[in-house]
Amino acid sequence: MRYALSKLAHGLFLVLGVTLISFILMVWFGPDQTYTLIGKNANPQQIAEVRHELGYDQPFARRYVDYVAQLFTLNLGASNSSGEPVSRILKRTVPITLALMLPGFILGNLLGIALGLTAAQHRGRWTDHLINGFSVTGMSLSFLVIIILLQVLLSTPYGLNLFPVRGWQVDDPGSYLKYVTVPTLSLILVTLGYNTRFYRAVFVDESGKDHIRTARACGASTATILWKHVLKNSLVPVLTRIMFSIPLIVISGSLLLESYFGIPGIGKATFDAITSGDQPVLKAVVGLTAVAFVLIQILTDLLYRLVDPRIS
Amino acid sequence: MNPPVLSIRNLSVSNRRTKQPSAVVQQISFNLNPGEVLAVVGESGCGKTKTAEAIMGLLPRDGWSVQADAIELDGSDLAKLPESGLRRVRGRKISMIFQEPLTALDPVFTAGNQLASIFRRHRGKTRSEAYQCSMEMLSKVGFADTRNVLKSYPHQLSGGMRQRVMIAMAMACRPRVLIADEPTTALDVTTQAQVLDQLTRLGQEYGTSILLITHDPGVVAQYCDRALVMLEGRIVEDANVRDLFARPQHDYTRRLLASVAGVGSG
Ligand SMILES: Nc1ncnc2c1ncn2[C@@H]1O[C@H](COP(=O)(O)OP(=O)(O)OP(=O)(O)O)[C@@H](O)[C@H]1O
Ligand SMILES: [Mg+2]
Repeated sequence: MRYALSKLAHGLFLVLGVTLISFILMVWFGPDQTYTLIGKNANPQQIAEVRHELGYDQPFARRYVDYVAQLFTLNLGASNSSGEPVSRILKRTVPITLALMLPGFILGNLLGIALGLTAAQHRGRWTDHLINGFSVTGMSLSFLVIIILLQVLLSTPYGLNLFPVRGWQVDDPGSYLKYVTVPTLSLILVTLGYNTRFYRAVFVDESGKDHIRTARACGASTATILWKHVLKNSLVPVLTRIMFSIPLIVISGSLLLESYFGIPGIGKATFDAITSGDQPVLKAVVGLTAVAFVLIQILTDLLYRLVDPRIS
Repeated sequence: MNPPVLSIRNLSVSNRRTKQPSAVVQQISFNLNPGEVLAVVGESGCGKTKTAEAIMGLLPRDGWSVQADAIELDGSDLAKLPESGLRRVRGRKISMIFQEPLTALDPVFTAGNQLASIFRRHRGKTRSEAYQCSMEMLSKVGFADTRNVLKSYPHQLSGGMRQRVMIAMAMACRPRVLIADEPTTALDVTTQAQVLDQLTRLGQEYGTSILLITHDPGVVAQYCDRALVMLEGRIVEDANVRDLFARPQHDYTRRLLASVAGVGSG
């Protein structure tokens, strides 16, 4: 109980911190919207009116409180360019992004873990070198090359021509599969090298521990050692990596994939907001990402306690 | 006399990682007789642990090379067994207890889980049978509250308790040979005595021969029948404990024993 309370206090503190930073960067020092909203040749009175409407005449503390209140009530105003309420934009785009990113994210990590375990098991032998070679190749290929190569191979008459090059017309599982496959493969290939190298290092480190020697001295098989002892002992670093790459993958990954494949998710919306200087949308994305980071941190802390009895 | 339980012929261990292959154990040979407690003494770094790990086949193949004419356990040569064959022997016919009780147990599994897995692996017990056996084994090594110990994670146990759990794991299958690598170095004096008493008593009850690695001549005098003195990867003396203390043959032995003058009378 005391623990939960202190975690909550800690979390609140973090939320205040990250929202304050994003407020200062995005709103207080953010671009002045006055002159984009009123036309040319405005008189001082009109200017003052617009500034008042935008809240620019309010003191710092007042505007910060308003901003936090907006984030928590999801009452985020409307897009400057389309006039669509920001909350509706989020409701429309976030599910698409999740549907787009989740399969690749999950498969990329599972494959990375499997390959990392295999490499660690055969450390120093040809299987390990082979996996390592593929990982380094994957890491040194630009994501652009990977995406374009996959598009050419899978989505054009030069290759198999099985999938659409771009777009997102999803209304049943079949069409979902059709549109999600190439982006998913791209995401897996782009991240797999990094994942594999990371997980291999974690597993190799764990395989050298004293208690692994004990398990071997008691006659445990290689499979038991890897899947029971090494894997469970590695869960803390594994969880950390997975949890903390979620916001990164969702934001930067979707920004990339969605603009390449023309998919109307939150990444595309953010990209458009950046290029057109659509402040309400950006404010919402940055603020909510910060809050999501804090929630993930709290969740990760709780998960640690599940997988490691020493943490309490 | 009965044939030895464990017979080592010309065992050498060298490190592959260093520039010129450096032998940390060089051509050692010795026998361990039935029911015997054999001490291996020598200063830090002389190769005691590496000898033990080589006998158990625990040294990673990519870092270490092990050569031996024979490592005979009950007449079968461990040096010729493949990894899968070794796996069936380890923990069943020959087991090992380690120097460092803090890190020797897996921190994320309960003592009960780790102990029970040995009964399930080597004795084909079901889950509930294995827990029953584990409880009996824990009371054998002197625990009163066995149910609680089974449920405890290693970090919840004291150093002495952890080492007793290790003894329970090592002795679970009544092995022919137990290698105890400085099992009490990390413990305080009273706990040391308790753990060693438990260990040797259980060895006698199960007919397990013990190779007791230590650098404490007091322990040698009190618990062992015979002793090997190691210096820089070689065995420089192999003698009965009584003879060793009365008439040390090697200069190094004399110096080693002098460090605890007066313990030799036992
Ligand atoms: N991982 C390693 N890499 C390189 N050399 C090692 C490694 N481990 C041990 N050695 C070397 O092998 C030699 C023998 O080590 P070993 O652990 O067998 O000593 P020990 O007699 O058990 O000492 P202690 O009483 O401190 O446990 C040492 O001189 C050490 O330098
Ligand atoms: Mg040692």
